[in-house]
Amino acid sequence: LSSRRTKRKDWTKLIYSSNLSPGQVLRDDTTSSSGIDVDEDEDDFFTVKKSGADADAETLDMTKVPVPADELQKWEDEELLDSIRHLFITGVNNDQD
Amino acid sequence: MAQSGSFLQFSGHHYLRHRLVLSVLSGKAVKIDKIRPDDKNPGLRDYEISFLRLLERVTNGTVIEISVTGTAILVKPGIIAGGSVSHDCPLSRSIGYFLEPIVMLAPFAKRPLNLTLKGITTDDKDLSADIIRTVTLPHLEFFGISDGLELRIKRRGSSPLGGGEVQFLCPIVKQVKTLNFVDPGKIKRIRGIAHAVRVSPQFSNRMIEASRSVLNRYIPDIYLYSDVYKGEDSGKSPGYALTLLAESTTSALHCAEAVSQAGVAPEDIALDAARGLLREVQRGGCVDQKHQTLVLLLMVLGSEDVGRCRMAEPTERTIQFLRDVKATFGTSFKIVPVDPLSEGPTQLLYSCYGTGYVNTNRSLA
Repeated sequence: LSSRRTKRKDWTKLIYSSNLSPGQVLRDDTTSSSGIDVDEDEDDFFTVKKSGADADAETLDMTKVPVPADELQKWEDEELLDSIRHLFITGVNNDQD
Repeated sequence: MAQSGSFLQFSGHHYLRHRLVLSVLSGKAVKIDKIRPDDKNPGLRDYEISFLRLLERVTNGTVIEISVTGTAILVKPGIIAGGSVSHDCPLSRSIGYFLEPIVMLAPFAKRPLNLTLKGITTDDKDLSADIIRTVTLPHLEFFGISDGLELRIKRRGSSPLGGGEVQFLCPIVKQVKTLNFVDPGKIKRIRGIAHAVRVSPQFSNRMIEASRSVLNRYIPDIYLYSDVYKGEDSGKSPGYALTLLAESTTSALHCAEAVSQAGVAPEDIALDAARGLLREVQRGGCVDQKHQTLVLLLMVLGSEDVGRCRMAEPTERTIQFLRDVKATFGTSFKIVPVDPLSEGPTQLLYSCYGTGYVNTNRSLA
């Protein structure tokens, strides 16, 4: 759904003059709805605080971006495999037409 | 060299490494607070403390203050000293976690760095020693950092027990060249390294066969190397991985890697790596997504001229990195689509005016 919108994205503006988190910038999520879920069924004196807006609090600082399994699965498709042939030297150059 | 009166302020444990790198390069002190304040186990993790220790060893005169709870740190950077350093990495993160930021600092040291790191050489979170050797280091060469640049994988170490060892040699430069890299070219060759330690050596060959089944259709110039480590040199834990890289006619590099998982056949690991590579190639651009921050940083440090580079969309890390770079050096990038009408993944042109960073540590020698 975002393919048309991403082209019009003003990256410079989104990165430098917006308060969106990096994830929101990528998802084009201007209406940042921070779903804060508080489970109130606990009577404990100490409760573990859950930061709803920052649910990815324990995401690790890692350089390898995990690729979702379905992103890799779709490369079984012959048509998709053929669609990037032009990026190799042996492929026909279909950029020109 | 530290400029007094200006310090950087960040919150949270995210992006700790690149913020410390920016601090050291700019000479500005950095304050980072709210490091996991609400966590059951608040404060810095062992690998983060280990990284701070490594940073202290690679530099000279760095002052690190950690609050009692470990949820805030203040780092006053000294000069990047370089020289001979050895460090044992904790087993919670692989060597790549420590080496990635050091690669950003080492060219600007006073003396060439000779760093020995021990621990896990390949895992699924950080760049493996193979990727750093075959992909990261060639990226430095675009900026004129090449003679004597080397990473030797002396021993391999798989997760969880590690036992690997690498040696990183990095020359020093006075200034980095301005990058002008806008033609991604076409992929002319694919290279790969398969390794299998403490498991049947046949696993390497099985991975190579399986990835060829996907990649052979594109180009004939595919060379996949089975890297054999025996005995002591193969570390303490069993594991195997396949690292693939595609090189274009203009020397653009794209890479992908898949690491052994319990209960998954080597063939499936190899297919993951091959498909990951195709995905990376499809995203296009001159730099693959794992190396965006390194290239952007060196563009900022380039001579006072406009540097340009064509890349795919930024990752989350890259977006935050760009913001932190602006906070540190005041440099912002101009990011525009290369061809707004083109089909397929968005290609962006990143350009900035270099700060003309000069390695002042070097002139002290």
